Amino acid sequence: MINFEEELKKFHPSLEVEDAEEAIYNQDLTDMADLMVKIVKESKKTGE
Amino acid sequence: MICYQCGCTLSEHDFCTNCGADVALYKRIIYISNRFYNDGLERASVRDLTGAIISLRQSLKFDKNNVEARNLLGLVYFETGEVVAALSEWVISKNLRPKKNIADDYINMIQTNQNRLDTINQTIKKYNQALTYCNQDSLDLAMIQLKKVLSLNPKFIRAHQLLALLYINNEEWERAKRELGKCLEIDTNNTATLRYLKEVDEMLLPEENSKKSRKSEEVIKYQSGNETIIQPVNVKEGRGVTSLLNLAIGLAIGIAIAFFLILPARIQTARAGIDEELKKVSEQSDAKTATIDELQQQLSELQTQNDTLQQDLSAYMGKDGTLQSVESLMKAAGAYLTDPEDVTTVADYLDAIEGEEAEEGEHENSEAFDNLYNTLYALVGPQIAESYDENGHNAFWAGNYEDAIPNLAKAYQYDPTNGQALFDLANSYYRLGDEAKAKELYEEVIRLFPNTEKADKSRNTLAQIEAGQE
Repeated sequence: MINFEEELKKFHPSLEVEDAEEAIYNQDLTDMADLMVKIVKESKKTGE
Repeated sequence: MICYQCGCTLSEHDFCTNCGADVALYKRIIYISNRFYNDGLERASVRDLTGAIISLRQSLKFDKNNVEARNLLGLVYFETGEVVAALSEWVISKNLRPKKNIADDYINMIQTNQNRLDTINQTIKKYNQALTYCNQDSLDLAMIQLKKVLSLNPKFIRAHQLLALLYINNEEWERAKRELGKCLEIDTNNTATLRYLKEVDEMLLPEENSKKSRKSEEVIKYQSGNETIIQPVNVKEGRGVTSLLNLAIGLAIGIAIAFFLILPARIQTARAGIDEELKKVSEQSDAKTATIDELQQQLSELQTQNDTLQQDLSAYMGKDGTLQSVESLMKAAGAYLTDPEDVTTVADYLDAIEGEEAEEGEHENSEAFDNLYNTLYALVGPQIAESYDENGHNAFWAGNYEDAIPNLAKAYQYDPTNGQALFDLANSYYRLGDEAKAKELYEEVIRLFPNTEKADKSRNTLAQIEAGQE
């Protein structure tokens, strides 16, 4: 049986057009490739 | 694919041919990203938008520079009604690859149409408002707001789902199912949608589910050697008599329905038609009766007029059908032409004309009639007057007043200057004892012939009459 209150909590306000800029700036764009490069660089540093 | 260290294009080797960096792991990451992109594309093509979003996000987690995956993610967001999320992805994509990027077209498509952008923003605001109403327990207002949102943007999945949830809360299962059906048309594999739909289906078809379980109980299974025999319980085969009976009952019900429902309606319609016809005929009949009455009234008026005219005409007509006055005038003219000295005959005819006119009253004669009459009157008038005067005075002097009166009256009539005739006429009446008429005539003498001997005598006689009366 669906609990209305619980289900309602899963719905969040949608971003408005004015908030789009802020959302883009705040987006975490770090990817696996970044992590890999960082790890490689750090391992090189520790090797030196 | 380019080297993460020097930016040089990589070859098939696991190291960069320019800087010598180890790119084996990097290449693997890029491959995984591409694989997720392919998966996302495949899911999007079968409208599994939720699955496509998950795959494309995964792809971007491995390689944020995968522009194709980002553009596709934006497109999928746009399809689900998440326009701001779509715009965000396309803007990032455009920053990563400023040229030859389809995201540029998508952004332009939205930004160039200000109305569309306003509508999108309005939709989002209304959705957020609806969510606020839900949290404030104003569920009716939330429903109204969500319906408005969906009229503006029918692909907004989250709005559909929220509306379906509200319907479920109100136990309006059919409506909830309809909304969820619309969600599935847009996104076939949305987990929340499927979960709600399952709940709705269970609420809509509890009997079917129980029937299924009951059916399983209504069979007997047993093992006969290597075979499993499944025998239904309490199943009777249909009999011919029962079928016929059912058919007869159905037929009877059909006839009854026709008799009680269809037939009265038909009769009612027919009666209404007849009443309408009757009304029309009645109206026509009334109109005709009114016309007949009017015509009869006209007829009676014309009949009356005709009778009056007939009476008038018969009064004018002689025995032979000619007008009497005309006939008399013609006779008078004929008598004068025959013997101009025979004034008595002419006078008789002229008197007859006057008598008729007196009898019939004043009326218009023709000009020719009047001319002839006046001419005759002028020709014979003096002679007639003289003749009457002579006869009248002879009778007066002889003491025969009864004969004197008509002659003297005629003499005065034909010669109004004959004052003596008028005076002797008055004397005749006086002597016959008709004092009223005598008085009238004496007064006329005094009035018409003043300062004459006759007037003085008249005054004296009048004084005597008045003295006698007193």
